[in-house]
Amino acid sequence: MSLIEYYPGHTFIHRLDPRVKILALLLTTTAIFISENFLVIGVICLTVFTLWLAARLPVRVLGRYFKLLLGLFTFVIIMQGLFLGGPTALVKPVIPAAVPLIGGLGRLSLEGVVFGILLSLRLIVLVALMPLVTMTTPIHLFALGLVRLGLPYRIAYTATTAINLIPTLEKEAAAIIAAQKMRGFTVFERGNFGQKLRAYPTLVVPLIIGAMRKAQLMGVAMDARAFGYSTRRTYVEDIKMTAGDRLVLAGVIGYNLAILVANFVL
Amino acid sequence: MAAELIRITGLSYRYPGSKKWALQDINLTVAPGELVALMGENGAGKTTLCQCLNGIIPHSRGGRLKGRVMVAGLDTATTLVARLALKVGMVLEDPETQLFTTLVKNEVAFGPENLGRPAGEIRRTITWALEVVGLQGYEERPPAALSGGQKQRLAIAAALAMQPQVLVLDEPTSQLDPVGSSEVLAVIRDLKERYGLTIVIATHDSETAAAFADRVCVLKEGRVLACDSPRVVFRDRELLRQAWVRPPQVAALADYIQARGVDLAGFPINLPEGRRMVTELL
Ligand SMILES: Nc1ncnc2c1ncn2[C@@H]1O[C@H](COP(=O)(O)OP(=O)(O)O)[C@@H](O)[C@H]1O
Ligand SMILES: [Mg+2]
Repeated sequence: MSLIEYYPGHTFIHRLDPRVKILALLLTTTAIFISENFLVIGVICLTVFTLWLAARLPVRVLGRYFKLLLGLFTFVIIMQGLFLGGPTALVKPVIPAAVPLIGGLGRLSLEGVVFGILLSLRLIVLVALMPLVTMTTPIHLFALGLVRLGLPYRIAYTATTAINLIPTLEKEAAAIIAAQKMRGFTVFERGNFGQKLRAYPTLVVPLIIGAMRKAQLMGVAMDARAFGYSTRRTYVEDIKMTAGDRLVLAGVIGYNLAILVANFVL
Repeated sequence: MAAELIRITGLSYRYPGSKKWALQDINLTVAPGELVALMGENGAGKTTLCQCLNGIIPHSRGGRLKGRVMVAGLDTATTLVARLALKVGMVLEDPETQLFTTLVKNEVAFGPENLGRPAGEIRRTITWALEVVGLQGYEERPPAALSGGQKQRLAIAAALAMQPQVLVLDEPTSQLDPVGSSEVLAVIRDLKERYGLTIVIATHDSETAAAFADRVCVLKEGRVLACDSPRVVFRDRELLRQAWVRPPQVAALADYIQARGVDLAGFPINLPEGRRMVTELL
């Protein structure tokens, strides 16, 4: 299951006006990028996780994605440790500092590692935050939310339709790998990193060609049903901002202001 | 104004980057209420001709178009596809890519919403269109979860929702199993007989053409070889052989009997007529 596909439910997060959810996503994403304090990031982490439970979203799926990202986190932490520099050395340089150009390489700084962990935490929160909106909002209401926030509907619809293609692409990737396996090609299962890297084009090229063809055909199908005919498009299912929605929005704004302040104070 | 709904004169078309003309000097008129079947082997130009009817060609695909295509009084070369969509409903060849929303009701609503119809009217349209294709009760299902025949019927409902004067169907049954096929064909028959809709249908299936069509147009390499009543077309063995079109089984049988020197009063092309022929002979 992808972190983008709608996950049906009737929780208050599901019922929230899409505009509120989109604005909350934008505000909180900004707050996360501003935050440099572990305590603050920790609090955001806790909030996001609590909301996952409140929305009854499948936490297991999230865990699977984090496992996939583990390599990336390790990479980021090591790279920051190697190259960011800082007064405290965790590991002594492999190459003596006296050597020109590459001297001092291999030195792992505590400050760098800590910053790498911070970056990884930010990434974790972002990955967990987005599904709180995408998985709780049917895509047509998400698009409508964008339109009501002022995005031209052609752009809103093209974007959300493209998002809609992602789960299809995931399924196609699985189908291609299965087809390759049937012909005895098992690099994606058993190969080492180099073999996988070299085999990647056999998977990606048909996927991209397929996606482009699909996107074009879909564009044709949309045109054939009068897409872009009227600037005053109507919607059978409209969205309405209730008093409750406004309250939540006020809460979200307050929460993010508090984070901003906490970053300065702490 | 002319009595015909579609008038194609001297139409030739070349896809962008292609040297070959996909259509060459096509002349064709379709009267209101008529059902015209387009037949011919793969690559004959059926899809291309279908897409000329609602302006997808040339507007969405580019390429070079000569001649003129008039539909319901509109020149497709100078009318936007979105505007032509009001007159021509289109069911494309691939059932997957033409359904792009997440719920059946949204799929049907998409067209009328684009036209800016009021929400209450759209709701009534959804109910009506789903009833016509026999999908009532499926409003809240995701299109991806439907069977092939249901998907194709949903595509028809989505086209009907804009209340077009012409419905164009590009091989609507070619990817379906027999059950799905007969469901879709029943809907097409209904649209013709109950609603008097003008229909253009590209098909490989001679049985379908013989049963439904008022006229059969045979295409080969982008040219119209013949355009006549199914009886005339399916009787012309030389024409069918040339265009790689298989005659309906009944016509093939009648042909066989005639070749043995039996004089048949009428040339049967579909099952009821075939049954009559056999009982008369016996
Ligand atoms: N997108 C395209 N670009 C270039 N040539 C095309 C394209 N689509 C179809 N053709 C060519 O146009 C001709 C007619 O094709 P088409 O209308 O798809 O035939 P049919 O639907 O009868 O199988 C064929 O020769 C085909 O190769
Ligand atoms: Mg075709």
